[in-house]
Amino acid sequence: MLSEERHVEPSDQSALTQPAAGRLVSPDIRDEFGLETLDMNMGPQHPAMHGLLRLILELDGETVVRCDPVMGYLHRCQEKIAENRMYPAVIPLTDRLDYFANMHNEHGYCLAVEDLLGVEIPPRAEYIRVLMCELMRLASHIPSVGFLMLELGAFTPILYSFRERERIQTIFEAVTGARMMFHYIRIGGVKADLPEDIPQKIWDYIESLESNFQRDFVDFIQGNEIFISRTRGIAKMTQEKAIEMGVTGPGLRGTGVDFDIRRDYPYSIYPELDFDVITDTEGDVAASYRVRIAECLQSIRMIKQCLEKMPEGEVMGDTGRRIRPAEGEGFGRVESPRGEYTVHVVSDGTDIPYRVHYRDPSFCNMQLLQEMVPGHYLPDIMPIMGLVDPVSGGWDK
Amino acid sequence: MALAMPEGDLQTRLDRYLTGFRNGHGLEESVIEGSAVKLVVRPEIITAVMATARERLGVRHLSFITVVDRRGSFEVNYELLDLRGARVNVKTVIEGEEPVIDTITSVYPSANWHEREAYDMFGVAFKGHPDMRRIYMWQDHFDHHPLLKSFEISTKRTFEGLR
Amino acid sequence: MQSVLSVLDQEPIRFFVSFGVILFLVLNLAAVLTMAERKVAGYIQLRYGPNRVGPRGLLQPLADVFKLFTKENVSPNRADMWIFLAAPIAMFIPAALAWIIIPFSPSAVVADLNVGILFFVGITSIGALGVIMAGYGSRSTFSLLGALRGAAQLISYEVPMILSLLGVVMLTGSLSLVEVVQAQGGGFWNWYFLPQLPMFFVFYIAGLAEVKRVPFDLPEGESEIVGGFMVEYSGMTWALMQAAEFASLALISAMSVTLFLGGWQPPIEALDLGNFNWAWFGLKTALITFTFQWIRWSVPRLRMDQLMNLGWKILVPLCLVWLFVTAGLMLVFPSLGQ
Repeated sequence: MLSEERHVEPSDQSALTQPAAGRLVSPDIRDEFGLETLDMNMGPQHPAMHGLLRLILELDGETVVRCDPVMGYLHRCQEKIAENRMYPAVIPLTDRLDYFANMHNEHGYCLAVEDLLGVEIPPRAEYIRVLMCELMRLASHIPSVGFLMLELGAFTPILYSFRERERIQTIFEAVTGARMMFHYIRIGGVKADLPEDIPQKIWDYIESLESNFQRDFVDFIQGNEIFISRTRGIAKMTQEKAIEMGVTGPGLRGTGVDFDIRRDYPYSIYPELDFDVITDTEGDVAASYRVRIAECLQSIRMIKQCLEKMPEGEVMGDTGRRIRPAEGEGFGRVESPRGEYTVHVVSDGTDIPYRVHYRDPSFCNMQLLQEMVPGHYLPDIMPIMGLVDPVSGGWDK
Repeated sequence: MALAMPEGDLQTRLDRYLTGFRNGHGLEESVIEGSAVKLVVRPEIITAVMATARERLGVRHLSFITVVDRRGSFEVNYELLDLRGARVNVKTVIEGEEPVIDTITSVYPSANWHEREAYDMFGVAFKGHPDMRRIYMWQDHFDHHPLLKSFEISTKRTFEGLR
Repeated sequence: MQSVLSVLDQEPIRFFVSFGVILFLVLNLAAVLTMAERKVAGYIQLRYGPNRVGPRGLLQPLADVFKLFTKENVSPNRADMWIFLAAPIAMFIPAALAWIIIPFSPSAVVADLNVGILFFVGITSIGALGVIMAGYGSRSTFSLLGALRGAAQLISYEVPMILSLLGVVMLTGSLSLVEVVQAQGGGFWNWYFLPQLPMFFVFYIAGLAEVKRVPFDLPEGESEIVGGFMVEYSGMTWALMQAAEFASLALISAMSVTLFLGGWQPPIEALDLGNFNWAWFGLKTALITFTFQWIRWSVPRLRMDQLMNLGWKILVPLCLVWLFVTAGLMLVFPSLGQ
């Protein structure tokens, strides 16, 4: 398909096409003893990789001199499938994107289609959406911290964090009927109202989480000397660099850029809620961990506000029987736990989307690996993965 | 070391961006819609427009690049954020079945993978891209671009040279 | 009956019989410790651990062994088969052999060597060879990295480990483990962990590193090199490696008990159990083993450079300083040396 004149040669400056010789840690040793670098293939079947990621590494001793992520092992071409389905039928597909933050995926897509339709959302539905999204953020941030520890070699925190995720999933099960693939947020509102006892249950759960949080996820992890020495100064980046690499979410806020879609590009009822945008100054793995932990507390705050302010009323707006937006474009931009998640929907006036594009934060943040991993030791790849915190379904769409 | 964030309220910033773009380049269309500056430019000047956005106007964050197959032409959408509420949406249309456009990786390094994805899915080639390989699909023996409208879901995929 | 016992007590026969008993013990120890490890992990991690096979899951090791025996032994195509298959044996033999010098009670010691500590140091060093053989023989990058890390780690941590033993040797004036234990009689205030507290810590940490446990499990490095030197092993070869790991884990526990915690000596005289004093030895060893497991499930892993820093820049100088302190004290108070 690619004809001769369109074949684009990679330019010479490419870090990937160049031999890594110029960037070796100890080039003189290499000359003297004829030592060579070691090529290593990490993944896609690797127990500690987040999903199906393959990293082609070039090692000089234990130091990585080249890192080339290879993706596509979970690619389902979601965007093509979405082009062949009616608007509401795309929502369950978005659940399968970033399967650690399904609610945010649904929310982003629904916002995009609602942007096209210009439909009014009932306030109660908005509150329920935000409530669910913030619970989802808790259910994603807490295991992220656990994964970071797992990758550093401590097995226990992941189970503590999955206990919390399990409890949140039980709440989701009661609300939506599913534990992971919810299909709960619909175009124009949400599928169903909250069951009567659920607000109280969420409140109780949040209270218990708050009382355990310090002990299980701060003292146990942050007080650990080995954890500190393994994460401090790893993947340290400046604000300039972070934005240049397209990093969003806790990784970016860890460098000190206070950018949060919830505040800067407000959607839903976030302007009515009282919350802080957490930033840190260090810009390394430890900073992103601290940001995640502090954001959990902010989510708890927001959930409480949602429960207190929750109005009565309908949960589904009037979208008509068939969803057939006029020709145009719609954007839905939400702050997913991993960063900026945007859905771009192009309509051609039929009831099937002409083009759906997902900007997934896992995908965009992963560019960091190519840049940040070289120069670090092989075991440092894992904490950097913990900073990026990608999800396989997210980067592979 | 702290990064300077754009100053002023949303409307003045949008106006500033719009005049900045209008003064620098010959634009085909330029309007302010809600919180977004929407531009339509010719594909030849896309790198220059992006350089204006980043270097002169301080719109730092590239959100995404969307390619839309308009059956005969390709529409490339660049969405930029200034991180404080304003969006800049740059649209360009490439005619023809085998589109080529200049890369913007020299301006926004994070466009790297977005452009690789566009190349993989649509066959839009980016001239001067440092690493123009397929990002998702098979590197060898697969000569299709699945998001093209001409690629039917029921198309029998062929892996040339493998069978 | 009496005559059978007296025959068994004659020299070559006694040695072989008791060595057989030790081998039996070590092999079973691996199974029991696997079980204990999983149970401890379970209770630390808010779950039950194995609880299906037998009462409270106690027959799980049996099921594990049965599974491992029936499992196919897969090896990489390019593997150097001789080295690949010899590696688990090279790891297991030193771990099992070192047990013959451990005094379980005054009379229950297979070989009371007068150079017992030297024997221990020498024989456990061979374990590093097994790691290198495993990594080299598999011919895979992960194995190779694991083996190189293992070699560097094991050899580096031999140094603080040996140095930490010297304090005890100076105090006792003997290299025989039986004499070391006998010198610690009379109550827990006579155990060497009090005068030799820094040395005890160094021995404990170096021991952790020698048996490749978290936070020093770099040769295995589950999350980056996926099991390191043992990534290509399966079935009984893998089980043998695991057995070697657990045997050396128990060995290090037993050695720290023998050297620093009074071996079979009861904590106070009144609790002397006579011929059953090996129960004290077992209890203390189990306790130390438990702390190993506790650490394993609580802390993350160090990085290679941090590991080396800890070994060479903290543990070795600490040992040397304490050696001088011990020597100085012995010079000032000659009664310490007995």
